[in-house]
Amino acid sequence: MSELDDMDDMSCDEFAGVAAELALGVLTGRERAAALAHLDGCESCREQVRELTMVQDELLALLPSQEPPAGFESRVLDRLGLTAPGQQPSDAQSELLSDLPGQQPSDVRVLAGERADRADRADRADPADRPDRPDRPGNRPPNQPASRPPGRPRGSFSRRLLAAAAVAVALIGGGVGWGLRDATAPASSSAQAALSTAALVTSDHQNVGSVFVYNRSPWWAYMTVTMEGQGNATVTCQLEMADGSFQNVGTFRLTNGYGAWGSSPYTAGPGAILGARLLSANGTVLATATF
Amino acid sequence: MAIMATPAERLPDETLLAGLGAGDAELSVAFVRRFQGLVFGVALNVLRDRNVAEDVAQQAFERAWKHAQMFDGRQGTVRGWLTRITHNLAIDVLRGRSAAPMDPNDLSLLITSIADSPERITVANDSAAGLRRELRRLPPEQARAVAMAGIYGMTARQVAESEGIPVGTAKTRIRYGLQKLRAALLPEDADDE
Repeated sequence: MSELDDMDDMSCDEFAGVAAELALGVLTGRERAAALAHLDGCESCREQVRELTMVQDELLALLPSQEPPAGFESRVLDRLGLTAPGQQPSDAQSELLSDLPGQQPSDVRVLAGERADRADRADRADPADRPDRPDRPGNRPPNQPASRPPGRPRGSFSRRLLAAAAVAVALIGGGVGWGLRDATAPASSSAQAALSTAALVTSDHQNVGSVFVYNRSPWWAYMTVTMEGQGNATVTCQLEMADGSFQNVGTFRLTNGYGAWGSSPYTAGPGAILGARLLSANGTVLATATF
Repeated sequence: MAIMATPAERLPDETLLAGLGAGDAELSVAFVRRFQGLVFGVALNVLRDRNVAEDVAQQAFERAWKHAQMFDGRQGTVRGWLTRITHNLAIDVLRGRSAAPMDPNDLSLLITSIADSPERITVANDSAAGLRRELRRLPPEQARAVAMAGIYGMTARQVAESEGIPVGTAKTRIRYGLQKLRAALLPEDADDE
């Protein structure tokens, strides 16, 4: 048996000796290979790494903020080819947007149910997503920690590790996940914000998600849904128009009752959206939102 | 019912990220304004060079813009996601630079700043308070090892060279230091350690 084969047989005790280094992304070479091989078949050690990685998250969160140099904001926007509100979009913006891998000027981008393959897509263009670290943003493997609830003060570390339900509740309040990108629309030139938000509510008054509608160019809508009872059902989102009609804007699949959806652009004009609703595959109204 | 407009400054982090991904100027500006201190702070604390830190911070926003649609709120907050992006980029730069010896004063100042100073985390944040408390309790050599590995991305071998200790000792310090911090955050498991 080769030396590497021996290391592939790393025990849990041996793994415990390198778990911290693996979690911090500083384990290298054969030790790293053997540790990852061990993780493949050991849920308890994956959990150990998940917890240790979360400690690093907490540690990084303690790093003090620093005021960036003057002009930083403008330089960032310029780098992205974005223009400040009221200015014309630059040529660079059009080039950058059209160069985005996988971006198409489709009317509706359905994203729920795609989360399983996000890890692969996250790697697509960025060499800085290093292969030697288990903590790449957007690409957290199964050994990565559960999240802290978005938009809420960070609570007990242990609570966050243990209470997946709390995450689901938080999804309702702040909206999570995300997904749309408009490859063709120019940046908005209006100085007035026009984003509307509404809770998605069932007939028995349960809050099961949020709807965001950005009501100017580039128009877009975004919805989060948490309906555990729906499992992996396919659902459809419709917008209620001012004339009483419903515009079908997307169908997506929930994953364990969770889904996040985005579309861009839709064609309604300002003030034309009264609400939204979520339908099951057989047309039953699951929940509604009123702006 | 009339559609209500919400000022960009009051929108949730996730919504601003969505706007950044969509190329919306106003939401992108709000996103950059909200997180520029965080991003530049992470980069500067790791790199200790304002010019390099600014470049890394700009790259971080660029990557957030590129990968906005990859963000999964179930796996973390926008703040945590952006911190990770910035930290990964900063570590990449740090590892690519000619090896500058770790200044013990820099390391000491960093540990002091994260263990003692009031920062952007609210006082009511019990996780942050517990972590800072445990950092102050750690043997200094373990705190240094954890900071070197966890913040500066140094391997056990690099920690060993910097501290003038055997690699095995460096690995042990990283391991026990991090485990103690974990125990502080998971009090119900503290007896297991």
